[in-house]
Amino acid sequence: MASKRYTYIHESESETRRGAIDIHHVIINRSRSTGYTRLMGLAFFLVILGASMYFLEKDNPVRNLSWSCLLSGFFIMIQSRKLVKKESVIIMPTFGIQLETQCLSGKTVSRFIPIGKILKPVLVECVTPVTCYWSLSLYLRGEEQFTLVFKELRPSLKMLVPIWKALCTVIGTDQSEMITEEKHVSG
Amino acid sequence: MAEPKLRVLMVSDFFFPNFGGVENHIYYLSQCLLKLGHKVVVMTHAYGNRTGVRYMTGGLKVYYVPWRPFAMQNTFPTVYGTLPIVRTILIRERITVVHGHQAFSTLCHEALMHARTMGYRVVFTDHSLYGFADVGSIHMNKVLQFSLADIDQAICVSHTSKENTVLRSGLPPAKVFMIPNAVDTAMFRPADVRPSADVVITIVVISRLVYRKGADLLVEVIPEVCRLYPNVRFVVGGDGPKHVRLEEMREKHSLQDRVEMLGAVPHSRVRSVLVTGHIFLNSSLTEAFCIAILEAASCGLLTVSTRVGGVPEVLPDDMVVLAEPDPDDMVRAIEKAISILPSINPEEMHNRMKKLYSWQDVAKRTEIVYDRALKCSNRNLLERLSRFLSCGAWAGKVFCMVMIIDYLLWRLLQLLQPDDDIEEAPDINFLH
Repeated sequence: MASKRYTYIHESESETRRGAIDIHHVIINRSRSTGYTRLMGLAFFLVILGASMYFLEKDNPVRNLSWSCLLSGFFIMIQSRKLVKKESVIIMPTFGIQLETQCLSGKTVSRFIPIGKILKPVLVECVTPVTCYWSLSLYLRGEEQFTLVFKELRPSLKMLVPIWKALCTVIGTDQSEMITEEKHVSG
Repeated sequence: MAEPKLRVLMVSDFFFPNFGGVENHIYYLSQCLLKLGHKVVVMTHAYGNRTGVRYMTGGLKVYYVPWRPFAMQNTFPTVYGTLPIVRTILIRERITVVHGHQAFSTLCHEALMHARTMGYRVVFTDHSLYGFADVGSIHMNKVLQFSLADIDQAICVSHTSKENTVLRSGLPPAKVFMIPNAVDTAMFRPADVRPSADVVITIVVISRLVYRKGADLLVEVIPEVCRLYPNVRFVVGGDGPKHVRLEEMREKHSLQDRVEMLGAVPHSRVRSVLVTGHIFLNSSLTEAFCIAILEAASCGLLTVSTRVGGVPEVLPDDMVVLAEPDPDDMVRAIEKAISILPSINPEEMHNRMKKLYSWQDVAKRTEIVYDRALKCSNRNLLERLSRFLSCGAWAGKVFCMVMIIDYLLWRLLQLLQPDDDIEEAPDINFLH
């Protein structure tokens, strides 16, 4: 399944065998993420160039230009290292789930959550001062705050629903409740 | 699931958990519109930790947008700051009509402006009366002129309020509908056993103890009535800055056993206080409508009220005794009410109120206004700008600039985040 911004891939060892490991990946489309960083870098470059032309050596524009390029390149490099390339959910039935975040630089951050600690996976609408989006969260035993399954990426509801269903099946939430909720989620 | 007929976004700074007339109006109207098969979404600002999406009875979806209130429950006015979130909500909920409430709500005015810029149909309801002469009112009326210059239809809660809104905003009267508020007669019923009026007559007052609600009049009226009628006692519910004056009045005239002060009364307990009384006293200095006297009449109490604003339009003449906002005239009105009290039948009064006022009727009439709004033609930016120019020599030009910038910002947002990128939210039906 793919959208303009993200691609969703579902890997399953076997469709029919119970207890098989289930892996869900959401990958950000490269052009979007790097395009955003380039835009930020360009803005940063223009600000530094303008400030240096105004405040510093007005007589030596070549030096200003080269310093601005260097600083902007450094800024883009720092931002790129933090850019997330892929987030994955690895569901291991009766054992737990592993949440992984892989950056462009190759660094991977993982978190394992034992199955006994998960009370319920929920689809939540998050409202910020400028936007509203769906997120998949886990309600964990002993923790007051929800744990986000996808910390950096914001995949669409169509991508989140199969992952949510898979989590519900594994956690063993009451099936009749799930079926009722499915029937009434339309759109 | 059948597709809803209309998809309405109610916008106001005033909604639950804050409690008041506007909040109640939005809630009851929304519930009745949901029962008529429409989809209703409410947008308001965050209240403390209450932010995000909540669902209320009947599947009423409420967006508590995390913009903090800054003065008197109003969101800080940024003019363009709310454009992204308003656009997101309008697209994801597939809204067809935007309905703003209350002239004093900055979020309402901003949302109406953005909705008009994006080509949505817009309706506005004014719930209060405002002045013309003081500095605050002059500025407020200018903002209202700007906000209402371009709307499709407006609603007022009384004929007096319609006159007031038309004069303040310069709207053509043909665009303004009059739909009164209503009362939940199932909740406000008379007591099964009415307290006897032979020995003691109880006069109930429930209001905020502020200047605007005539608390100073009460300070003059209560001692005089207690002097003339030894068998009358008062029950005063509500709190506010004038509470101290009432306490002083009680001390000065030694009325501790004749005047009971209840303090703030939660709305869920208002009925239980009303049914202990025989007469309801309203001393407001200004009221567009006054739902309080509706609630009292629904509980079978005879009402004594000041003749201000829209109050004379609310109840039939045999259910209310009106007086000028003057202590002597109010005492005379209370005397008249005490004399006609034996002829009052609370059950008959309640049954009449059931026929006169209902939220279902308000919702049906509001539906007609929405249909009218949807039939209005969509104007392009240039035609809309010409309406703003008539608002004033300088103000008109400022308003035009504000709208042009809003339009440009909207187009920029469409470039950065096209409409297709905003995912539509599914309609979730709740099991009953």
